[in-house]
Parts: sequence; C-alpha cells; structure tokens
Amino acid sequence: MTPEVQRLERLAERLRSVDPVMPSPGAKIRGWNLVLAAVEQSASGRSRSHPVRRLVLAAVAAAVLLVGGAVAASADSLPDSALYPLKAVVENVRGALAFSPSDKFAYHLDLAQTRLTEAEAMIARHRVDLAAQALSGLNDQLNQAALVVQAERLSDPALAASLENRLVQAIAIHDQQLAGLQGQVTNPAAIAAITQARDRAAQALQTAAKPTSSDGGKPSTTSSDKGPGNGASATPHLTPKH
Amino acid sequence: MQPLGKAASDDDRPLIERVRRGDQDAARILYERYFDRIYNYVYARLGRAEDAEDLAIDTMTRSLTRLDLFRDQGVAFSSWVYRIAHNATIDHYRRQGKAILVPLESATIPVSADPSELAVDQLSNDDLREALRALTDEQQQVLILRFFQDLTAAQAARIMGKSVGAVQALQHRALGSLERVLHGRTNN
Repeated sequence: MTPEVQRLERLAERLRSVDPVMPSPGAKIRGWNLVLAAVEQSASGRSRSHPVRRLVLAAVAAAVLLVGGAVAASADSLPDSALYPLKAVVENVRGALAFSPSDKFAYHLDLAQTRLTEAEAMIARHRVDLAAQALSGLNDQLNQAALVVQAERLSDPALAASLENRLVQAIAIHDQQLAGLQGQVTNPAAIAAITQARDRAAQALQTAAKPTSSDGGKPSTTSSDKGPGNGASATPHLTPKH
Repeated sequence: MQPLGKAASDDDRPLIERVRRGDQDAARILYERYFDRIYNYVYARLGRAEDAEDLAIDTMTRSLTRLDLFRDQGVAFSSWVYRIAHNATIDHYRRQGKAILVPLESATIPVSADPSELAVDQLSNDDLREALRALTDEQQQVLILRFFQDLTAAQAARIMGKSVGAVQALQHRALGSLERVLHGRTNN
C-alpha cells in the first residue's frame, strides 16, 4: 500500500467515525404530520374515480378555497405561525360539536397530543415561552379529559372505567415523549416546563380517579388540584421504559 | 458512531404496495426508516438544521405521495429516495443562488501543500463537515453516501447512476481533494 493510499484510508476511517447529525424530535413529528396529511390527500385524490364527480368536487373545492384554504392551512400551524389563532377557532368549533362523553373525551385527548407536538416543535425552535404555553395546554386538555371520566362515574361506571384506561395509556405515552424531550434539552426553563407538565399529567389521573361530588354537581377538581386520589384506580408508573 | 437505523432493503417492496393502497401504517414505517438518513444526508450537504429539516420533510413527502412515478425495475426505493433528496438539495442551492458544481481546480485549495503532515485524528467533526462542503457536488455526494451513510460502493453507485468502478475512482479523488482542503485550512 502506497503512503498516499494509507493516508486516504486513515481519512476515510476518520470520516466513518463522524457522528451523524440527527433531526430533533419536534422536526420528526412535524415532518410526519405533514407527510401524513399529504399521503391522506394523495389517497383521497386517487379514490375519486368518476370524471364528472371529480369536476363537481373541483368546483366545490374552488368555491370554498378562500375560506377553506386558510382553515386547512391552519390545521398544521404551530404556535409561532400567523395562522395559529385560526387553528384555535377551528378546535373550539370541533369541541362544540362533540356531544357524547366519548366524543368529548376523544376530542380532549386529540388536542392533548396536538399540544404536545406543538411543544416539541417549539422547543426544537428554541421558543421556550411558546413551548411552555403548549405544555400548559396539554395539561388543560388532559384535565378536561379526566373531568369527563369523573363525571361518568355515577351515570355509566363501565364507560368511565374504559375512558380512564384510555387516559392512563395516553398519559403514559405522553410521559415517555416528555421524558425523551427532557433528556435532550439544556435550557433550564424548558426543563422546568417539561417537569411541571409531567407532574400535572399525573395529577390528571388522580382527578379521573376521584368520585363525582355527592351533590351531582360539577367535579370540584381543577388542574391545579394537587390532592391525592382515593386510591380506587391505579396510577400508572410513568417512568419511561427506555 | 451512532447507527442511522435500518438501511434500505428489499423489505421496502411490500410496504410500497401497502402505501399505494393508502395504508398509513406502512407509510409510517417507511418514513421512520428513511427520515433520519435523509436528514443526515441533506444536513451534510447544507450544514443548516432548518434547511435540512425542510428538505428532508419535502423529500419524504414526495417519496411517499408520488409512488405512481416509482417503478421498481432495477432501481431500489432507497435509491429513488436519495435521488429525490439530491435533486431537492440542488434545487435549494439554485433558489439560494449558490453555485454548486465548483470545479476543484478553480477552488482556493493550496495544492502545493504537503498533505502528509495532516493530523487526521485531531480534526474535529465540524472541520470535516465544513471541508467536505468545499468539494464538488459529486465528490460530496460520494463521501457522504459511503462514509456518513455507511452505504456500499454498489449502493452509492445505484443512487448516483454510475458504475461501481466509477464510484470507487470518484471516492479516491474525493478523499484526495478533501485531504488538500483540510490541509489548506490547517495551514491558514
């Protein structure tokens, strides 16, 4: 082997040892949301078979383009986007249309996941203030879901148990994501916000486990209630498995 | 070096068929399989996390929504994805108004320097990444695919549309160029 080849071999080995630069978790989640939306759109486009039907749909689409375009664009918007307030309006409309306890519960869990995705994206962009707001929103939604569970305890215990089980699973998944995020940030404010979010998520479980007040009124627990539950429901161990 | 995840394989074919039928789970598997690699590839080319994120997302979106354009005849899905990423990178450079195909002889590289003095082990990762971006488009591509992405010469050849021999020759020239760039930087 000539000296030149030996040198280049050493350089090649050094290149192999360069650590890969990985995307932030927020970027990966944001990317998947965008890819998923595009895949869904692509699939629905392929399913349209009849040309006349396509034409009608195109005309309808064109008619609602101005309004609908902005609304649709807001669906994936993040807290630092100009379209974000519109997203909140759309979410509120969705909430108003959720009538059954199951629908309300699913609505709150869906929004909780949305808030978590937003928080991850904001941390990736070093917007700790907006990340903290999103995490607060995450906890609010989990607490709202917990209140739905609590309210169903007397009227439909079976449904309450089912919803509580889903809440436990959702919070455990969120906690894993938050733990992963926490391990990657160095900003003290971000770490504090994530720690608080994890604690409040655990409190939401306690809220769900509490019985409804005896007068049949609204559940008394708020998101800031730090009182323990009655022990009727097992609080999951939220420590990440990895 | 951390692993970049599962490399491209024949396993992609059934997943591609499922995605064509609208299966989102299959799309998710392919996304997970390639996103980190494509991000890493684009980042090595551009050096900016924000741009790398956008282009990696763009690449995966195009890859998974334009499967009607992909024909599994001699070209693996992985090669197709890398080509989309490469084209997206070229387009990005064009939009930014940057020249990309800089001939080596016109670059400011001190070819008279003695490359044998280069202390390879003392170079930082950032030094290497930055120096790599001073190479020509093809030289960057071959080094990234072979050493950052840990692909074989045959895999790199399929992605670049070249013969294995051509890739090996290009790789040799690229390493020599990189050595000269690094030597020039350490002397400056």
